Amino acid sequence: MSDVLKELEGILNVTLPGNLVEEVIKVEEGHFDVMCNVTNAFELMKVLREDAGIYHLSTISGVEKDDEFNVCYHIQHRIEDEFKEVSINLIITKIDKNKPKTPSMLEFFVASDYYEREIYDFYGIYFENHPFLQRLILPERWPDDVKPMRKEYGWEQIKEITMKITKEGLEEAK
Amino acid sequence: MTEQYRSRFRTLTDGSDAPPGADHHIFIGPQHPWAEEPAHFIIHLKGERVVEADIRIGFNLRGMEKAMENKTWRQNTMLIPRACGICSAVHQNVYVRVVDKLAGVEDQISERARLIRMFSLEAERIHSHILWYGILAHDAGFDTMLHVTWRDREIIMDIVEDISGNRVNPALMLPGGVKRDIPKEKADRAQPMLDKLIKQVKYHRKVFTEEASIRNRLENVGILTKEEAKKVTPNGPTGRGSGLPFDVRKATPYELYDKIDWNMVYYNEGDILATTLVRLDETLESLQICKQVLDQLESTQGELLARVKQRIPEGSYFARAEAPRGEDVHYAIADGTDKPDRYKIRAPSLGNIDATLRRMDGEYVADMPVILRSYDPCFSCTNRVMIINEVTGEKMILNQDEFARKAIKAKKYNRPFF
Repeated sequence: MSDVLKELEGILNVTLPGNLVEEVIKVEEGHFDVMCNVTNAFELMKVLREDAGIYHLSTISGVEKDDEFNVCYHIQHRIEDEFKEVSINLIITKIDKNKPKTPSMLEFFVASDYYEREIYDFYGIYFENHPFLQRLILPERWPDDVKPMRKEYGWEQIKEITMKITKEGLEEAK
Repeated sequence: MTEQYRSRFRTLTDGSDAPPGADHHIFIGPQHPWAEEPAHFIIHLKGERVVEADIRIGFNLRGMEKAMENKTWRQNTMLIPRACGICSAVHQNVYVRVVDKLAGVEDQISERARLIRMFSLEAERIHSHILWYGILAHDAGFDTMLHVTWRDREIIMDIVEDISGNRVNPALMLPGGVKRDIPKEKADRAQPMLDKLIKQVKYHRKVFTEEASIRNRLENVGILTKEEAKKVTPNGPTGRGSGLPFDVRKATPYELYDKIDWNMVYYNEGDILATTLVRLDETLESLQICKQVLDQLESTQGELLARVKQRIPEGSYFARAEAPRGEDVHYAIADGTDKPDRYKIRAPSLGNIDATLRRMDGEYVADMPVILRSYDPCFSCTNRVMIINEVTGEKMILNQDEFARKAIKAKKYNRPFF
């Protein structure tokens, strides 16, 4: 692990504090997975954004594991002279399933606004310090407690809810 | 950073939390004749100038990510191109590359299969770009150009149809390789057609750069500087028009893009003309890539399809590709069964909305169609506009005909629209 961490530090030209990073995996050339605990995520992103100067956020994905949630920030380190990009997947682990919350990265990336709200919609993960954490993609009539991307909701259940809210909407229009 | 941040995606539907200073609000969509797919734009105006613009999305949630978790990897190969109507091949390409990597067959894919994948991708980029700048000309009020470009677009559509059997969804790729070959007689038939299209696209470029009536609509309109672009992170041609020289094909080469001779196009001006020129030049580059691929196919042989098992071993992989509109991002997690555990898709348009809204600040309302079109939106058809006069509280809901009639009257008798 330490070799891979050194290589990543060499590319980014910063030192990543050892206590913040849980694990670094090299997927392939120019592509790293960085695991990090939810309590250290904000600090680590601060290093990546402010010291390493990473400004491009491709997307954020929410992941449901058996006993925890993960949130994965897909960021690109850009080397402008060589027109190259190094992909880093910053995977925030150990998000409690009963009270899922993780720090919002809106301070570092403007684009994280709608990606975070999308995950809030789909998984119900609460992003701390997000100024406007509201529904973005789901329909207005969608029940608040149903988080459709969670494994507990099967395909048939989602279909039923969709049919129900559509019928309600049609009846109201009459 | 936070104080520079301006709230977007936040205006309520009735415009009640509008920014101070705005006296009129234009609501576009979710269904509107300007756009082909649903999105709700809210443009706050002070006189003729835009104070701020906002958007609401989510009218077309199809639940594709959830659907993919309930289908097998094999079935998803045919579901994934439906993510986008125009860039279907690129979504399929990222998907098959993810599956190739997770299944561990990426070394077994022959050069010939990779070349055919690249041909499909580049043909798609050509027809998407030609379609886009045709509609841009239409939005700028230059309909002759719309007809000229769409006539010429048929050339590449015919090639795609000849090779794949379909006009817009070639669906040539499968995990492990490709479904169909491009035989020599089809390649020979395509070559002169590509030559003809190169000539036509050069003519389109000449019109866009030399014809004053269209150039004036695009030049110095909706400028997005490099510093602003770094904050709102546009991708694809929108970013390359603002001096961010990043193209996934160059940045992290996939397929055989590192073995083919091509140049990345980027401009530093940041106005709408720059993004248009990026796309025009890219079309020419793609055409010459297509010609190179067809030349190389003659001398390259190999198996078209490697065997991929139904069950994909555990693992996760993140892949990107350069779609006509920008970077297309997929992230997959496999759990050892024949269905994905999680599949995340981020289509390029979502990443470009912020940049486009920023372009509008302080521009004339007449430039809105051109600016909204600039990032090549993927949205849908409608025929209703609502105009609210803030002073009197009067609401007008107009359909397409009424809106047009009102606009013509206002022009004819020289009186205000509102």
